[in-house]
Amino acid sequence: MAKQQPGDRIELVYGSLDMLILRTLLWGPTHGHGIAKSIERLSEDALKVEHGSLYPALQRLQQEGWVSSEWGVSKNNQRAKYYRLTSAGRRQLLAETSRWERFVRAITGVLRPAE
Amino acid sequence: MGWKRQIVKFWGLFGRRRRARELREEFSSHLAMEEQENLESGMTPEEAHYAALRQFGNVTLAQERSRQIWGWNSLETLLQDVRYGLRQLRRSPGFTAVAVLTLALGIGANTAIFSLIDAAMLRMLPVVKPGDLLQVKTLIPRRPGEPSGAFTNPLWEQVRGQQDVFSDVFAWGEANSRGDLINFDLTQGGLVRSAHGVWVSGEFFGALGLRPAAGRLIAPSDDRRGCRDVAVLSYGFWQEHYGGEERAIGASLLLGGHPFDVIGVAPAGFYGMEAGEKFDVAVPICSTATFDEKESRLDDRSWWWLQIAGRIKPEISRAQVSARLKVLSPGIFIAALPQDWARDGQRDFLKRTLMAVPAGTGVSEYGLREQFGRPLDVLMAVVGVVLLIACADIASLMLARAVSRHKEIAVRQALGASRMRLVRQLLTECIMLSSAGALLGVLFARWGTALLVRYISTARNTVFLDLSPDSRILAFTIAMAVLTGTLFGVLPALRSTRVSLTSAMKGTQAIEIGPSRRFRTRQWIITSQVALSFVLLVAAGLLSRSFAKLATLDIGFDRSNVLLVSTDLNAAKVAPDRQPALDESIETSLRALPGVVAVGRSFRTPMEGGAWSQLITTEWSKGLTADEAETWLNAVSPGYFAALRMPLLAGRSFTSVDTATSPRVAIVNQTLGVRFFPGQNPIGKGFRIRQPSGEWGPPIEVVGLIKDAKYEWVSEDTHPTAFFPITQVPARTARQTFELRTAIPPSALVPPVQSAVGSVDKGISLEMLTLAAQVNDSMVQERLLALLSGFFGGLALLLAMIGLYGTLSYLVNQRQTEFGVRMALGAQPGSILRLVMRDVIAVLAAGELVGTGFSLATTGLLQEMLFRLGARDTATIAIAIGVLSAVALLAGYLPAHRATKVDPMVALRYE
Repeated sequence: MAKQQPGDRIELVYGSLDMLILRTLLWGPTHGHGIAKSIERLSEDALKVEHGSLYPALQRLQQEGWVSSEWGVSKNNQRAKYYRLTSAGRRQLLAETSRWERFVRAITGVLRPAE
Repeated sequence: MGWKRQIVKFWGLFGRRRRARELREEFSSHLAMEEQENLESGMTPEEAHYAALRQFGNVTLAQERSRQIWGWNSLETLLQDVRYGLRQLRRSPGFTAVAVLTLALGIGANTAIFSLIDAAMLRMLPVVKPGDLLQVKTLIPRRPGEPSGAFTNPLWEQVRGQQDVFSDVFAWGEANSRGDLINFDLTQGGLVRSAHGVWVSGEFFGALGLRPAAGRLIAPSDDRRGCRDVAVLSYGFWQEHYGGEERAIGASLLLGGHPFDVIGVAPAGFYGMEAGEKFDVAVPICSTATFDEKESRLDDRSWWWLQIAGRIKPEISRAQVSARLKVLSPGIFIAALPQDWARDGQRDFLKRTLMAVPAGTGVSEYGLREQFGRPLDVLMAVVGVVLLIACADIASLMLARAVSRHKEIAVRQALGASRMRLVRQLLTECIMLSSAGALLGVLFARWGTALLVRYISTARNTVFLDLSPDSRILAFTIAMAVLTGTLFGVLPALRSTRVSLTSAMKGTQAIEIGPSRRFRTRQWIITSQVALSFVLLVAAGLLSRSFAKLATLDIGFDRSNVLLVSTDLNAAKVAPDRQPALDESIETSLRALPGVVAVGRSFRTPMEGGAWSQLITTEWSKGLTADEAETWLNAVSPGYFAALRMPLLAGRSFTSVDTATSPRVAIVNQTLGVRFFPGQNPIGKGFRIRQPSGEWGPPIEVVGLIKDAKYEWVSEDTHPTAFFPITQVPARTARQTFELRTAIPPSALVPPVQSAVGSVDKGISLEMLTLAAQVNDSMVQERLLALLSGFFGGLALLLAMIGLYGTLSYLVNQRQTEFGVRMALGAQPGSILRLVMRDVIAVLAAGELVGTGFSLATTGLLQEMLFRLGARDTATIAIAIGVLSAVALLAGYLPAHRATKVDPMVALRYE
């Protein structure tokens, strides 16, 4: 795994962590560690996620009813809690994604006006 | 959605333990997986472990954040803070005890005074919709000041018949020794056991919406001319005298010798309409006919014995009520015009107008609110200042404690507690302290208010206040606890959380904050304490000096060793023409008692409250205003002046030659002589009295001049006073007072007097009181103020000195090393002493300066309560400066002296 220099890592925009978690869970249920690894892999280690900060976010998503959880056993026989995307979570992800895209388009438009 | 989430959060509270456990398990499994991965990528086991931890970040923080999401975190932190606070307070029991006790005194005093204000002024009557009640009053032209609340029965009947603004209107009149000439005497002769009665109109209980506790209440049908004598008992009276039994209904109750049928009991908690009074028995207005034999007050147009109130109709405003009553006034007053009044008086009478004032809290016709309103306000301010000083003391203590807790706080900050979190924790501790103080304070207050009410009650006037705690007092106390906790907590909390971590951890004590800066805050606190206690000392000094002047004033008669014996012949059913003879025989039998030196007899006695006055005129008094020409009167026996030791300055005293048929004579006091006979010798000259009809009566010859004496109050400007022979004035009532000058303690005479009067007629009822007690009772307000302001002034001084002593001791401890070095270098103890005392004197001087300015600015408020003393009296301020300086120097000297005892070696070894 290619390690990037810490200076190149991007701090997460507030609230975007929720979206990333939901997105990760789209591939199927997994545990906290799996989510952390997925985010790092997908962003090619560009996004800095402190693993500990996933858990409050997971608690929040669970409270909102966007993910559900149950205990399971991981590949190497480790007892772990598996999180699963609910249908409400799926809808939320869709809404969040389209909002995010609009947001990015708008910012990009400002920063790089039609060349 | 919102409430659903709240429910989820609420349930979350219960599953917390399980969830926290699960969370920990998740964390450890996460870390294990990461560690495993790290191992696989080739790290050493140790590296793998720490890398996983680093990657995870702050475990505690992640836990905290998750818990926050589960909800109701604030409640949890609060519980945590409370638990932590309890542990902290338990760890320093001395500090906790001092703080709680100080606060209990401060908050207790505030709650006590506030309870009195609440009970006397603010409390709503326990009736249906008290806010709808309005009292009807009369604006009297050419008599500025308060409108009068007194009505005659004919006026009441007119108001009842003509008004159209109240859905219910009712009247009542107090019937006790002050309000009425009738005392509801429960006994037949002998020492009086009087009941406090109230006359009520038939509408009274219905209009207030009261339900009987037993039997039935007085209804309109009970209040008709020629009615049956019925009575309703108050709940307390029923409990006390009938044990709360049903058989009381239908029983017969003897009032002033007349039997009344008990028909019911008023509800518990209802004490009547008058502030500071509680009735025992209510009887219908029509029953006055049973007591008034010849002249019935039901038809008397100048007998003012009733008060009127009503319940406002829902659709109209208070302003409309007053406006409408004003319109109705001419019709009402002309229908109840006193026919025997002079034309002037009648013309003014017709100009009177009615108005309405709120009566939801009851009324204060006897003036309890007027008499004690201002003193209670002053006391409230005083106890408020005492509490401030107490708060300052505790703030000082907290600051000192902050030093010793320095490390604890640094450690907690190092572990990631935010400053806000620590401030909150410290404030929670403070509020806990103040709440404990408030709790204990409420106990003090209950005891204190009961004591105070007993104190302002006098022999003739028992003050009753319903002191049961209500929501307002509760709210006040809670507010007090939170406010004081915050007040003394905020500054130390902010101060002590401003910590430099490294220096604290190193163990050297916060040198960069430095004792000098810390001391400067405390210096401010001490200075303000000195200033505040100084103001209270000045106030206490003023009120005490004023009272001392009052108490030692020459009041014109000798109050010691005089027993006042009041007799009431009503119950004995003595025919009016037999009364003088009976009085004579009572006087003879009293004079024969061993220990009695002289006996007098009079209509009125000094300072008994109330006055009998008339306008008089002489050849020389034409230029006097009505106020100046008003003369206070009394009718006395020949022995009166000797019994009271009032010296006759010229002429003669009354003798047996002054009879009902001899020429009318009078003895006047010096003030009357100077005012009505300027430059003349009044003896042998005459004056005339204004008759009720408005004409001047026949001339009365002045035969004697007596020394000035006070009549109603000690503090009054002496009134012109005229005394008539008791034989020449027709008695209006069957009540009289005998003055017994005794050679033995007056109280020893009570049993012999009882048997002596009983031997004349067993039916005569008796009341006894010493003249000294009566004079004392007339100064109850002044004495209360002097006593309490003195007490609280002393308390303030004590608290301020505790603050000064504590701070200085702390400072001396802090500077021990410095003193040690100085001594080692050859400083004399005297110079060390001077060094410390310099601080004391600086604080003292600044505090006294500010305090003097403050006193000069505020004590003006006391002026109307002071007797012959300026509110800015320099002597009082000088005394206060002297007392405060002496005590402060002593409080400062003790720690300063200790500073000189520092052993240089010991101090230096510390470093």
